[in-house]
Amino acid sequence: MATFSGIFVASAIVFSCFGVTAYGVLFSSLQQTLLLNSSPSQGQVLQGGEGQMSITWSLNKSYPTGTDSNYKTVEVKLCYAPVSQVDRGWRKSNNNLKKDKTCQINVVTMPYKPSNNNFTWTIDKEVPTATYFIRAYVYDSAGEVVAYGQTTDGHKKTNLFKITAITGRHVTIDVCAACFSVFSVISLVGFYLVEKKKTKISVRK
Amino acid sequence: MANAEGSIGSSVHGLTGKEQTFAFSVSSSSNNNNNERATKFSLPVDSEHKAKTLKIFSFAQPHMRSFHLAWISFFTCLISTFAAAPLVPIIRDNLDLTRSDIGNAGVASVSGSIFSRLVMGVVCDLIGPRYGCAFVNLLTAPVVFSVAFVSTPQGYIAVRFMIGVSLATFVSCQYWTSTMFNGQIIGLVNGVAAGWGDMGGGVTQLLMPFLFHIIQLTGATPFTAWRIAFFIPGWLHIIVGVMVLVLGQDLPDGNLSALQKRGDVHKDKFSKVFWFAVTNYRTWVFFLVYGFSMGVQLCMNNVIAEYFYDKFNLKLHTAGVIAGAYGMVNFVARPFGGYASDLAARKFGMRGRLWILWIVQTLGGVFCVWLGRADTLPIAILAMILFSVGAQAACGATYGVIPFVSRRSLGLISGLTGAGGNFGGGLTQLIFFSSTTFSTSMGLTWMGFMAVACSVPIALIHFPQWGSMFLPGSKDEKYNEEQYYCSEWTDDEKEKGLHHGSIKFAENSRSERGRKHIISSAATPPYSTPVHV
Repeated sequence: MATFSGIFVASAIVFSCFGVTAYGVLFSSLQQTLLLNSSPSQGQVLQGGEGQMSITWSLNKSYPTGTDSNYKTVEVKLCYAPVSQVDRGWRKSNNNLKKDKTCQINVVTMPYKPSNNNFTWTIDKEVPTATYFIRAYVYDSAGEVVAYGQTTDGHKKTNLFKITAITGRHVTIDVCAACFSVFSVISLVGFYLVEKKKTKISVRK
Repeated sequence: MANAEGSIGSSVHGLTGKEQTFAFSVSSSSNNNNNERATKFSLPVDSEHKAKTLKIFSFAQPHMRSFHLAWISFFTCLISTFAAAPLVPIIRDNLDLTRSDIGNAGVASVSGSIFSRLVMGVVCDLIGPRYGCAFVNLLTAPVVFSVAFVSTPQGYIAVRFMIGVSLATFVSCQYWTSTMFNGQIIGLVNGVAAGWGDMGGGVTQLLMPFLFHIIQLTGATPFTAWRIAFFIPGWLHIIVGVMVLVLGQDLPDGNLSALQKRGDVHKDKFSKVFWFAVTNYRTWVFFLVYGFSMGVQLCMNNVIAEYFYDKFNLKLHTAGVIAGAYGMVNFVARPFGGYASDLAARKFGMRGRLWILWIVQTLGGVFCVWLGRADTLPIAILAMILFSVGAQAACGATYGVIPFVSRRSLGLISGLTGAGGNFGGGLTQLIFFSSTTFSTSMGLTWMGFMAVACSVPIALIHFPQWGSMFLPGSKDEKYNEEQYYCSEWTDDEKEKGLHHGSIKFAENSRSERGRKHIISSAATPPYSTPVHV
């Protein structure tokens, strides 16, 4: 009896955890209380690994005082614009933030301050070629999302910029690939000729 | 020299079924020779010097060494063909791929070998499986290395297509084991060789993310690390290709070129072999059916890692492990299929083989549907494992029946069936996983239904002498094994005595009648009757 109730309690806890994690915060329920600005202009192209951008954010003063009483940390992320989400299901937007894949690249995480926030970011070498905007999520002390801000409008059409990724190719790798390929072909041809000679000799015997 | 000629000639007897036999049966004299020659082989052999047992942990020349070289070369080609699949989440960012690009690359990777498997069958006949296999391996290595140069989606698709051509080594692998091992264990031997080779599709899902991770630790950025990771499969191709050339041997008695120059092996006409392969309707039924056991497997190798990564939000490494488990099940599942087929044949004959094939392939399809519907990770993994057992056992069971479809055109029919597997794989990848019409879950569900539907044609496979799933064999003694296998030879060829290999095979295949109908073998074997008096 004790073991059964133990198992029941344990599974109840486990399933309740699933329950909590299955239902994330909905994006549509968040207030856009942060004003976010980034340096790239509409349509500007930046290079992965080299390009830099500066991002500033502050609380929108038009909201009543006390709105930011539970704001703890701000996480700034690089997000895919709709044009870069087409035919790419792994970047799909979802209102449920647990399933949302719009913003996958972290820029910076900083403690919350109502004003005087800025950060200069050198674009990582892992950022893929795409069209982007910037969004910042605000978290409370429990780690739940409570607000956000973004550099583009509600339809994600304005103020989008492009990043061109590094190719990942290197001259050294190219040369090594060519060398090994040549070695492979020469081995095949070499063995074939050597064996043909051996067969001729053995048949003559 | 005549002595050596006779015994070497008999060693390839039954290999192609077309070699000239002499006026008097060579069986009695070759038996004497065998007693002397058998001592030089480390395994017990039959009159054709084919091994009668399989000793897995041995590397002795010629049988076991060839067995290991055959499956390892096929294994290597599977590793490089599916090496991109677990790294797609990185590659899709580097090359800016869309879902269509990824799907098309997957289709390309399996369709490359549709044609190359046919060509390999012919190549094995003309210059031997050893060269065919080494050729493919040493020429695939440059293509694998050229991944370093890829920078566009088109380049990616082209490279995957060219690497996929290397899957022709399936034919050289099965052909090579068929020359080395006796027909009574060939189901198990082919199942083990192909199963362990197919395991490469699973091993690569673990190997490539692991290599990628290690290379990243040395400081490379992700977009460079995946290119360097491909160098490992490239080197494997070179190593295996060289090993095959140096250590391998085409036939139990030597290499094909030497035997051909001595005049001991005769070449059949390609046109005849081709004709009897394509006019046998069973070839085309298997072309279709194998597409939904092997084809489905190839499709899954391309799709499964990305599916688990995206649907269950796993790390790249974890998704690779799960996808790897799918392919690794081949280690036992395919041999099990071949063995189950052999067991069923002992009691029920060919009808048992066909039923086993239909049952496991349908079950595979059913579990595929379950995988598509599964929403939690543990259920998905369970469904995936059961699906893989079903599909891979079906592959093994298929090659338990194929050796009996034809004697003369065995190589080409094996090649055509293998090509059908790739064709089915490319087709399912194109229909279900290349566009945004279906989510991957729905694609898996529909693929499962299609696999079940396309397993029904197995009921159409009918042998006059043995029957089919629903019809018994003919009671009329006119339709016996000899009649079936000798119908592949014209009267002219029969007069020249070219068909005696088929008659010998027909005798041996009487076991496919099942336990109830075993005819006593006391009847005079027809092949010992002199043709020219």
